[in-house]
Amino acid sequence: MLLQLFLTFLKIGAFTIGGAYAMIPLIRKEVCQKRGWISDEEFLDGLAAAQSCPGPIAVNLSIYTGYHIRKGKGMLVAVLGTILPSTISIILIAMLFNRYADAVLVRKAFHALKPAVVALIAVPLYEMSRKGGITLANFWFPLGVAVLVGFFNISPIYLILVTIAYAVGQKLWVQKP
Amino acid sequence: MIYLTMFWTFLKIGLFSFGGGYAILAMIRQEVVINHPWLSQAQFMEIVAISQMTPGPIAINAATFIGFQKGGILGSLLCTFGVIFPSLIIMLLVTISYLRLKRQPWFKNVFAKLRLLSLGLIAAALIMVFSDAIADWFSIVVFAISLLASWRFKLNPFYLLILAAVVGMLFG
Repeated sequence: MLLQLFLTFLKIGAFTIGGAYAMIPLIRKEVCQKRGWISDEEFLDGLAAAQSCPGPIAVNLSIYTGYHIRKGKGMLVAVLGTILPSTISIILIAMLFNRYADAVLVRKAFHALKPAVVALIAVPLYEMSRKGGITLANFWFPLGVAVLVGFFNISPIYLILVTIAYAVGQKLWVQKP
Repeated sequence: MIYLTMFWTFLKIGLFSFGGGYAILAMIRQEVVINHPWLSQAQFMEIVAISQMTPGPIAINAATFIGFQKGGILGSLLCTFGVIFPSLIIMLLVTISYLRLKRQPWFKNVFAKLRLLSLGLIAAALIMVFSDAIADWFSIVVFAISLLASWRFKLNPFYLLILAAVVGMLFG
């Protein structure tokens, strides 16, 4: 069972390229439909929690699923499976990259890769903004965050702490009858 | 000493990285380009591109890559562990108590506000990489085509980047 859990998350880690949102349908298929480890409803709860908590979404989801199946051991095995393909492939690439970073062909490839990466950040941002409940009343908030962090190099840490404090305070004290 | 600093830095990144991969990029850049002079802006961009082309979460890939550049295999393992350690603790606590937590208004409000904030962080990441990446006619054309391919035709990021690399080698 633990081995199967490890192999399943190893597969999830190895076959998802380009961010967690690509990973979600695959994880769902593996753990709900193919293995039947958790129900669809439990998965959606886990997904909501994984997106809300700090850290990579795929790692959070593997913690949630692993814990549901086999408590602490399941959690560690699932996390290990998820990150192992990344860690190994990146270490290999980093070794090669150090040797060839200044090669003309590598420089030329990055000349086109960089603008492509910008597009790959812009498109999900647009789609998430459309689905994420941006309205005329609240668009100033993400816009302000973007300007403070992007232009003035304010650390996101301060903005996150202030946001959490404000959001808790708003519900616990301000709106109490 | 550098190992301890790297571990602590990525622990901080893991703890404050709300909103998944792209929002985490803003956090990583803040720490490794601005707070610590570990990478130049150009090197940061290269790592982002490589992270998107290799399997696994972008934050894990970036942590492993930067850790390896600065401290070899040990550095890469420390940074990777650092970035997931806060998740292990927080996600475990939330997993155990989620059913109770999700009925609390303050809990819902925190995450609704953080979701908005993470959109801002992604936009910040966009601002940061834009001026470095888009500097001449060639990069403007590649950017426009990539935008179209990804947005209209839903081309998978992996294939898009492979194509971009080939185009760069041929014409860049």
